[in-house]
Amino acid sequence: MSAATDPHLELDDIQAGALFERPSPYVGTYLMLRIANRADGRELVRRLHRIATTSRVSTGQGSTSITVGFTYHGLAALGVPQASLESFAPEFREGMAARAAVLGDVAASGPEHWEQPLGSSEVHVAIAVLCSDTDRLQAAAAQAREARRELPGVVVVWRQDCYQLATGRTSFGFKDGIGQPAVEGSGRPSTSPRERPLKAGEIVLGYPDETGELPPMPTPEVLGRNGTYVAFLKLHTKVAAYRRYLHDRATSRAEEDLLGAKMVGRWQSGAPLALAPERDDPELGGDAKRNNDFLFADDPRGFKCPLGAHARRANPRDSMDEVGSVDVRLHRMIRRGTSYGPALPEGMLEDDGADRGIVFVFAGAHLKRQFEFVKTQWLNDGIFIGAPLEKDPLVGPNDESSGFTIPQRPIRRRLQDLPPFVVTRGGDYFFAPGLRAMRWLAELGT
Amino acid sequence: MAASVAGSSEPGLSVGPTSEFSLFVHVKPGQGPSLRSALVDLQDTPGYRPGDYDMAVQTIHEARFVLFDDDTRLAFITSFDGPWDAYMEDFFSSGPTLTLFDVIFRYTEGYDGLPDVGALKAFILDAEQMAAAYARNYGGTVIEIRKAQRVNAAFQQVLDHPNAAELLKHPAMQALLDEAGD
Ligand code: HEM
Repeated sequence: MSAATDPHLELDDIQAGALFERPSPYVGTYLMLRIANRADGRELVRRLHRIATTSRVSTGQGSTSITVGFTYHGLAALGVPQASLESFAPEFREGMAARAAVLGDVAASGPEHWEQPLGSSEVHVAIAVLCSDTDRLQAAAAQAREARRELPGVVVVWRQDCYQLATGRTSFGFKDGIGQPAVEGSGRPSTSPRERPLKAGEIVLGYPDETGELPPMPTPEVLGRNGTYVAFLKLHTKVAAYRRYLHDRATSRAEEDLLGAKMVGRWQSGAPLALAPERDDPELGGDAKRNNDFLFADDPRGFKCPLGAHARRANPRDSMDEVGSVDVRLHRMIRRGTSYGPALPEGMLEDDGADRGIVFVFAGAHLKRQFEFVKTQWLNDGIFIGAPLEKDPLVGPNDESSGFTIPQRPIRRRLQDLPPFVVTRGGDYFFAPGLRAMRWLAELGT
Repeated sequence: MAASVAGSSEPGLSVGPTSEFSLFVHVKPGQGPSLRSALVDLQDTPGYRPGDYDMAVQTIHEARFVLFDDDTRLAFITSFDGPWDAYMEDFFSSGPTLTLFDVIFRYTEGYDGLPDVGALKAFILDAEQMAAAYARNYGGTVIEIRKAQRVNAAFQQVLDHPNAAELLKHPAMQALLDEAGD
């Protein structure tokens, strides 16, 4: 097959969402739509196909990026033939709500508590609009409205606005979106000089991946090629509970900051513990050339960055090299998260009832061995670091029964009774097709 | 072409963090003696030598290769920390593990050899059999057990100190003192 030998990414067919950074700062909107009428649905796709941003376009300052994805039910609603539907990844076909127990989304994070209609068969199309300023967002919103004009058979069923907080940080106070793999052929340099760009097939379908093979791709080829799978999650963050937890266990603000940094693996500024183990270094945090230039092998016991810290769990880098059964490069992902809701005012320890958190967006070619593996094996479990009773201290499904070990001399510190700081409010798996595939969807004759 | 996984993939029974993993395969006709000698050679490689405790894969507790039915069949039986099915792809992309696999399984039926990873995956999933019963006599991952051994060695060293009894008198040491008598 030609794909196996062609290393060139078809950038003008691949949607920008997977390969390019969102603008920063940004404002945006996520829309979920239901296709009640097939003909209207196809007309919508035809119009969206004209406005979706491709990876040829720069998405930096002064830009708008529109990304479109479909759930399994959405593809079915558009009339994609059964054989083709069955060629999609099993997790995608099942949908995220059906995977919730496996993914640790239980209790308050369980689908029975999700915002309606997230996780149900009513969600068919997702449109993500991210802009560098509100004027552009309004223009894009007008475009999106235009795309739905006179299509009564297409209904908006859910909406979430997002915007970067004035601090440039996410709700817990941390800079986010730093650790990110580069993709071969995307034309974007790696943020980490120590990580070779990933084979394109790790992120985009139709190209060889890190195993040297083509990732399993939906058929027909015109539909699968240049597409990517997306995991979308609305994650509510319990910022007051998080602050209180640290406050109760620290004697000073500096100690709170240290405990927080140990949980994340980076200081609030983004400075990695691996390079700044003692105190925050905002200059380092803000320096894109240095803030991702580190490994963990010189710190096998986690005295600088705990093995259980969120970012070390999510990307153990070279920590696993000696283990012999883990290839970290098979478990990388593109993250396109954004922040929603107002910041909890500085110093406030009581919950104000506001909804705030992140919209977590994963993009990759392998839902199971990338998104689901990282969430189940690395964030929700501790077997891989020899601490089966510990989960990710920040985002794990903690229930006040587990703790977090912070290696330090002379005696390790162990935080106990971790409550959940993150609650899943809903989500689903989407397929973000290439532009040719969107045309194919619009022109389906079934 | 992309491997769509053939064969069935059973995650295996687990006890605590550890899951069992067993492969059963047929030896190619006439290859019994060669396989037996390959296993004797394996026993002489680092990690497998008597007294070594350092296999290339650090997440397995033990590994055994059993030839049976007059050397016409081979069983490979091990215990793995974590659900092994989650690590399938990793396993196939690990060079040392594959090389080890290759020197043994080349004598068995259905094995087409490297580098066709897709075929290898199908071979393994076909050969894998889930246990009908599985139990362990201690909990803990390999990492935890190694740590426990280091801690005990350190504790014994402390007990050998002439002032140990004095030092362990502090109430905070009670749990250690309880373990100090034998
Ligand atoms: C509300 C929930 C979450 C919050 C607040 C959060 C926050 C953070 C922060 C502050 C960082 C460090 C900055 C950076 O490297 O970009 C980070 C890194 C990361 N997070 Fe999360 N995260 C959340 C959920 C998740 C989930 C659910 C996953 C995966 C399933 C995930 C995967 C990652 C990855 C892969 C990295 C990069 C690690 C690296 O390359 O060094 N995060 N996250």
